[in-house]
Amino acid sequence: MKILAPLYMAALYAFIFLPVIVLVVFSFQDGRLPVPPLKGVTLKWYADVLSDRALLSALWNSLLVAIVSSAIALTLGFLAAVALARTILPGSALIRGLLIAPMTVSYLIIALGLMNLWRDLGLSVSLWATGIGHVVINLPLCFAILYAAMGDQQRSAERAARDLGASEPRVLWHVTAPMLLPSLLAAFFLSVTFSWDEFIIAFLLTRFDVTLPVEIWSLLKSGLSPKTNAVGALVFLVSVAAVIILELTVFRKRRA
Amino acid sequence: MRLLATSALALFAATPVMAQEINALVWCDHTDPALLEPFTAATGITVNVKEYEGTAAGLAILEQSQPGDWDVMVIDGVDVGRAVDAGLLAELPADALPTADFFPEVVMAEQNGRDGKIYAVTEKFGYNTIAFDKTKVDPADMEDWAALTSGKYDGRIMIYDYYVPIMGLAAVGNGLATADLTVETLASLKDPLLALKAAAAQVGDVVSSQTALATGEVDIIVGGGEWLTAVLMADNPNLDWTIPKQGAVRWAQSIAVLQASANKDAALQFVQYIVSPEGQARLATSSCYWGMPANTKAGDVLTPEQKAVLRWDNQPEYLSRAQLYPVADAALDTAMQDLWTTVLQAE
Amino acid sequence: MKGERRLASLMLAPAVLWVLVFFVLPFAGMVALSFARLQGRTVEQGFYAENYARFWSDPAIFKGLIVSLEITATVTIISLLLAYPLAWIIAMRVPERWQRLALLLAVLPFWTSYVVRSYSWLLVLGQKGVINNALIGAGLIAEPLTLSASRTGTVIGFVHFFVMLLTLTIYANLRQLPPNYARAAADLGASRWQTFAHVILPLTLPGIITGAFLTFVLCIGDYITPQILGGGNELTLPQIIMMQMGRQGNFPMAAALSVVLMGTVILAYLACARWLRLDRI
Repeated sequence: MKILAPLYMAALYAFIFLPVIVLVVFSFQDGRLPVPPLKGVTLKWYADVLSDRALLSALWNSLLVAIVSSAIALTLGFLAAVALARTILPGSALIRGLLIAPMTVSYLIIALGLMNLWRDLGLSVSLWATGIGHVVINLPLCFAILYAAMGDQQRSAERAARDLGASEPRVLWHVTAPMLLPSLLAAFFLSVTFSWDEFIIAFLLTRFDVTLPVEIWSLLKSGLSPKTNAVGALVFLVSVAAVIILELTVFRKRRA
Repeated sequence: MRLLATSALALFAATPVMAQEINALVWCDHTDPALLEPFTAATGITVNVKEYEGTAAGLAILEQSQPGDWDVMVIDGVDVGRAVDAGLLAELPADALPTADFFPEVVMAEQNGRDGKIYAVTEKFGYNTIAFDKTKVDPADMEDWAALTSGKYDGRIMIYDYYVPIMGLAAVGNGLATADLTVETLASLKDPLLALKAAAAQVGDVVSSQTALATGEVDIIVGGGEWLTAVLMADNPNLDWTIPKQGAVRWAQSIAVLQASANKDAALQFVQYIVSPEGQARLATSSCYWGMPANTKAGDVLTPEQKAVLRWDNQPEYLSRAQLYPVADAALDTAMQDLWTTVLQAE
Repeated sequence: MKGERRLASLMLAPAVLWVLVFFVLPFAGMVALSFARLQGRTVEQGFYAENYARFWSDPAIFKGLIVSLEITATVTIISLLLAYPLAWIIAMRVPERWQRLALLLAVLPFWTSYVVRSYSWLLVLGQKGVINNALIGAGLIAEPLTLSASRTGTVIGFVHFFVMLLTLTIYANLRQLPPNYARAAADLGASRWQTFAHVILPLTLPGIITGAFLTFVLCIGDYITPQILGGGNELTLPQIIMMQMGRQGNFPMAAALSVVLMGTVILAYLACARWLRLDRI
């Protein structure tokens, strides 16, 4: 019994890490096909990736969309969560349901809907459209996390601040937001992750200024090569580094 | 704040203001930087490319976009007529195109023009037939379409996932000329296609097919040809392709300038580059897939090795034995796509 | 009091407007489009049921829904069965100070790009892939197994992702359990299994159902995984939607199939609604 748990853990960790390890190993393949046998080790594919302008600009686009759309989703979600948590409004259950609703819908459907809307409005699809779509998918997430984090504590702190004559924006900025900081950070971080990795909305709502997942998809469509492995490995390493830094700084403080 | 807003705007700006950019709706062979960069270097015109999958979808994209969104389009030679009917293509000046240097069979004036006017020009062609690994199958078997469904190669076949050539091949393999393919005659192809699907292990796009053949996942690709084997020759010299005794189908892609383009001059310049001997040689050996250039003058630019891989010298024979893609109107196209969905969904 | 309400409405307005304009409105537009029809290449607006009729009567298209449901059900069940014990071990057996690390490790591959994840499974599962190579090398099998280019491949690719997701949600749920409940049950003479079945499982049920529902939604609407790992041997509903749109340019049909997909998700939602805590994730 004692041995079973570690064994199970090891097996599942192996399953979880298998594709990542294979991905990284064959990113060094000295040959065109990233399948066994490993013919030799080369850094050529990494050099290829770093000199690929399309990939780099896609990376920049992805970062931009992720950060801007997450910031908007966070702001809107924050305001809505505060409003719903402290004031009893008619139909507030309905509004909560409405704000959560996009979470229950496939991204494909959100993408198709926006694509049709853009066409009906006579607009060309662009990174803008993608960013708007990402706010739609992340707003429910931010709202849910922040709404769940609201408690009596900050309601009374807010009231105290207000009684002392603070204006409403000041209360939000100096009292509510700092008290919710861990949840705000968590919501923002999750939103960035989802936006960064999202494919189908970006695929259907961009033309030339694509995001990284879309560029990787077209890389994949233009030939099997260890270059795809190299991009994947780089994205993984950078993301993991970001996760670890956040874990060591922001989230550690929060627990202390 | 204002500064932030304007810089964000600049970053997000979707449509280029400068006339020195053209937007092209293309197939994957046109996305190769080795093809596009020399053009940009010579003319200062940047080419933005976006891939699309099927003609129907490409036409839908064009009809739903804003005027000026697109300048150039790559389209199946047999589908140019549909784009002309929809009023999407601009007339091309005949004297600006070197069609006199083309392989005569692929000028396809009938498909590329209408009422004596030219709307598109052939840029690349090749064959959808049988590609295989010659060390793993009996090459003699590959001379007969019937061998594929004989049971001998069950589970070792992959079908290229594009309905037009596969329908054409099913027709050729069953003694129906591609030119006689109609909504009515199409029904007779259902059983042969289902039999082929039953014998196949997978169905996949250009890259999946290349990968599966090169890594030995499958030994035969139905719909394959030089476009499939050429880029893999270096990794696997055992790959081969042939035209069986019943024949095969010939694909041809055309390039056209769009009626709604706001940069018709730059667009025409790009078309002229693509059909020039240098452009033709680069397109023929593009990274996504290879194919024969329409312009024979490209032969002076291609290396002897490249020409050998493309089987330059066999072209007269191949051209005479392969039939052109079925020319489909909207109704036949829909019928073929629906049949294809049925075939894909079959056990 | 009145001023407070006005303020609250003002703060709510941007989020509500965003959802209405960029979610509800497009969705309504899509429902309307699903009742239009394609005549040649022009979309004819109106109220036609023919897209839905075709979904119902064309076996190839209807099968897409069945395939999607079968894959999603398989994936949801396997992922739950694999993830629950892992979350349990991390929450109950791993020392407190290592739990965060263990959890982080369990979800780390989440940060490989989503498209790349499916692609790397292709390299693992192929006939010449790592698994077949290892098994043949070890002399366990003579002929390579068909893992990729099949439903097995799609399911494995999905399970990988959802095991990570579910481990995370179930762990969060287990951590919220008051530890003395289990002890109390044990003190009252309940066996370990009884404690689990009658105390812990019911208490973690909302978390399990919420995770299962998220798995269902994300899995049934996914295009990439079956497209890369399925080998084109069968089509899921999202693949058919993309074909209708990407190849045929038949937007009304794609819209109708999307509405069907949405309907399926709503049914699943109603089935789980009792236990779902979506606003409390």
